Amino acid sequence: MPPGECLMPYAVIYIPEWAKAGQPAAAETLWQCAYCFSPRLEDTGPGVCTLDLKGLAVPEADWEKWAAKIIDMLAQVVGRAQIGVARTPHLAAQAARQAHPFLRVANVEEFLADLPVAQWGFGEDILEILESWGIRTVGAFLALGRDKIAERLGVEAVEMFDLAGQSRPLKLITPPETFAETMEFETHLESLESLLFVLRRFIEQLARRLEMVYRVAGEIHLRLGLASGAAYERLFVIPAPTRDVETLFRLLQTHLENVRTDAPICSLRLAAKPARAGTYQFGLFEVALRDPNQFHETLARLTALLGPNRVGTPRLADTHRPDSFTMELDGLANGAASAQEEEEDKTSHSLGLRRFRPPWLARVEVREARPVLLGSSSFSGPIAHALGPWRLSGQWWDAQNWEREEWDVQTSDGELFRLVRQNEQWSVEGVFD
Amino acid sequence: MSEIFQLRQLLAERFPGVPAWSEVAAAKIPGCWPTGLPALDALLGGGLPKSRITELVSAGPSAGSALLLRALLRQAWKVRQLAGLIDGLDSFDPSAVGQPALSRLLWVRCQTAQEALKAADILLRDRNLGLVMLDLKMNPAAQLRKISGAAWYRLQRLAQQTSTAFLVVTPWPMAPSAETRLILQSRLTLEDVLKKEDSLWPHFKFEQARASAGEESADAAG
Repeated sequence: MPPGECLMPYAVIYIPEWAKAGQPAAAETLWQCAYCFSPRLEDTGPGVCTLDLKGLAVPEADWEKWAAKIIDMLAQVVGRAQIGVARTPHLAAQAARQAHPFLRVANVEEFLADLPVAQWGFGEDILEILESWGIRTVGAFLALGRDKIAERLGVEAVEMFDLAGQSRPLKLITPPETFAETMEFETHLESLESLLFVLRRFIEQLARRLEMVYRVAGEIHLRLGLASGAAYERLFVIPAPTRDVETLFRLLQTHLENVRTDAPICSLRLAAKPARAGTYQFGLFEVALRDPNQFHETLARLTALLGPNRVGTPRLADTHRPDSFTMELDGLANGAASAQEEEEDKTSHSLGLRRFRPPWLARVEVREARPVLLGSSSFSGPIAHALGPWRLSGQWWDAQNWEREEWDVQTSDGELFRLVRQNEQWSVEGVFD
Repeated sequence: MSEIFQLRQLLAERFPGVPAWSEVAAAKIPGCWPTGLPALDALLGGGLPKSRITELVSAGPSAGSALLLRALLRQAWKVRQLAGLIDGLDSFDPSAVGQPALSRLLWVRCQTAQEALKAADILLRDRNLGLVMLDLKMNPAAQLRKISGAAWYRLQRLAQQTSTAFLVVTPWPMAPSAETRLILQSRLTLEDVLKKEDSLWPHFKFEQARASAGEESADAAG
């Protein structure tokens, strides 16, 4: 036997409640848990998952500990589980059904000697014949011998005989990479409190499932099915991937506090895309956020308070047109300012302008091509000094072309304003401060 | 208010070994956030105090408060920290700052003073920002008069739980919980529009009207 070869190369995880109720929607939870212990899995039936353990070197005394780890893990996410370990998949499955909660078949003859024939998988007609012969255990059936069984009971009974000693190839499956929880509501949800109550349970469940596979949530997809037939969907990208329940819950809660749906909620699906826990070495010139998730939540709260385009980092537009910029949220929320923007800031503007948005319309009296009198909603009176005009224009090549004339003026009471004349209309654009 | 004092006294008598919250807060040594402006740093003893409210009163027209905010944003960029600007009346002009410094700015554009206070409440709960500035200079007096003293004390409590330097720019003294109050006494003229920014700082005049809560002093720099 090569080193590392397992004497017990098959394990079967058996969930009694699922086996009775049929294949549940949450079967993937079982597969994902089993996948932590073996990459070669078979979905054998409702509540039954077979693991190929070839190559797994577990010392004789440690099998129980090994199984206990799986049982504990499953107890948190799917409920009570039983595990059987044996040298063939069929024997392991029988052991799992008999386990309390773990059974390892070290001596096959001893195990089969007391195993009822009804559990071995015979058809009804063969079972009737065996019962009429007085054969009630698998051990007694095997004692008949292969040739005599073939002669008297046919091919099906021979296959049943061979199951005791022969293995079979597993029909391998790969567990889905998305972790999802779904629920249909008989009584439709109309309040946020009810929805948050269910969501919290979902998040706790997803966090446990992610913990099983040593992963964190990189993205969360929320889908609310509405009674009207429509659906509300939202993808949350987690800035610093985590499986912390409080963090993930706050992220959803902050968003949902500002969501209004047209109809009550009749179904809920929450899916987490797993990611590896972040181990990121920050660059010398990068600004790291202490808590990116908290910052993301802060931005969401501010956006909810003020509305879109009111919170973020201004990015100046590539134009000479004054007050042209866009608001961006991604740069800061991603946790670090780009190293490409570390170039020296050489701007050396003089006074700071406080802009009026929108500019105040004004009446301006001009003498000898200079403004001398200002009339606006905040100030009316003579202009003591004026600097200008500063003429600006742009986009002459298309319909968006613009042209303006700026004057920096000081009023008689000492305030410094910027006046703008555009299309023969004067306005006060801001005050210097 | 007297009920609070009675309650504090009762708690102090019942739990003599447990320090009061105010004592715990006072025991913290918050440190400073250097502004990069030598005159101002010298006046403040190193910079804007962290975990405290600093009120900058910019009473006169064109006193230079916008210029000062711009300088602080550049300083935040230089020391590689994120800064938050809560703009009380959406009057900030980003084009004067330059894109590099803007990349480290969280600009919160409010329409009213009430919105700005709510935004400050949210932002001070976040511990990612080195500097938070609340600019109420342009808000109408009617809005500012509606701000209760309790709102400032709430912001003070929030600031004390972080290591953020919190600067409030107001047109008149209105933050009773401010640890430090600076009065900007400069008066810029039209000739200054043509000058370089660096040449303006020597003419700036600050007066410190309050060194700590309940203690008035009148140091000046400029």
